[in-house]
Amino acid sequence: MRVVAIALAMLVGILSGLGLTWFASAGAIGFGSVRIGAWTAWPKSGTPEADPYSRAMYARTGELPLGSTDGIAFLAASDDDGSPLNGRCDIHIKGRLPVARFWTLTVYDAQGRLIENAANRYGFTSAEVLWKPDANVEIVLAPRARSGNWIPTGGREHISAVFRFYDAPTGLGGRSANTVEMPAVWQELCS
Amino acid sequence: MRRYLLPLIAGLVLGGIVHIVTTLAMPQLALDNAFTRLAKLGPANNVQFVPDPTPLNAVLPRTDPAFVTAVCRYNLDAGVLKLRVPTTADYTSVSFYTRNGLAFYSLNDHAAGQRTIELQLMTPSQRAALPEDEEITRADRLIVESPTLEGVVLVRAFVREPGNRTRVRERIANVSCAPEG
Repeated sequence: MRVVAIALAMLVGILSGLGLTWFASAGAIGFGSVRIGAWTAWPKSGTPEADPYSRAMYARTGELPLGSTDGIAFLAASDDDGSPLNGRCDIHIKGRLPVARFWTLTVYDAQGRLIENAANRYGFTSAEVLWKPDANVEIVLAPRARSGNWIPTGGREHISAVFRFYDAPTGLGGRSANTVEMPAVWQELCS
Repeated sequence: MRRYLLPLIAGLVLGGIVHIVTTLAMPQLALDNAFTRLAKLGPANNVQFVPDPTPLNAVLPRTDPAFVTAVCRYNLDAGVLKLRVPTTADYTSVSFYTRNGLAFYSLNDHAAGQRTIELQLMTPSQRAALPEDEEITRADRLIVESPTLEGVVLVRAFVREPGNRTRVRERIANVSCAPEG
């Protein structure tokens, strides 16, 4: 009986422990992150005080976080309602953006690779994008070409979008992040 | 049912320990981390361009395609490293990471305020061994202390519009990173 009990304890321990680590390092645990609408940032990840979860996350993907003096990245893998971003839909990103020297928006597939397209367009920089007169910006991620700020998605089922704000004020992504505005994200016309 | 309760609780406690240990060990154990990937580009204490990411090929995942990136993987065993980064007409940044991917220092052209960012990278003990008189002139130079012997310096320059890429690349080709002396 004792052998069964010990084996059970070991099994539960190893499975739950590894399972939890797997989920956490996939970024599923919000520890150390700042969430604004559909967007998530890990503001401490580019500092020596980076928490073990974000370090495990970056080690797993092989990515290097942006240094804190360099910039801050906000990732969206789902829309405002929590539905995963689907490259077969028209994904709208619209609203005001935080103040920074400049920003870039890039679209990736589920593995963090750029998405192949005839226009060789993988995103926008703040210099390239067309602004609305009211300092808002509207960008559409969609499988088919369209007018305005369009980023091709190649019809991939799971995509993510990353906003990077460079040389941004230190408050961005910090404690005062609830005063930071990030654009709304919604999906429609899925094909 | 009751006789399974204790092993179950013990199992969950063990699970917590396994979780903490594996999470903390991940940066050391990850086989395909950024350092390993960048090491394939060339020797240490040397500057290499990180090829621009394409859909089929990217050295690091989720790279910002709007940048020209150069890397200097360093090993301070050979002594203090001297780094020179000519800034471009647009944004340029220099970021330092330990072998395990901890970002321990970064600066950009605004913060540096010079046409060329010049700095010395050294371990705390190499810094302690600096001769006294050199300490006096320390204000003129930028010293960055690396908590580890090995790491990565990433130089990134912004390409505002695709047409600027060649010019930015030419400028970044002048980045140097070599042991002092």
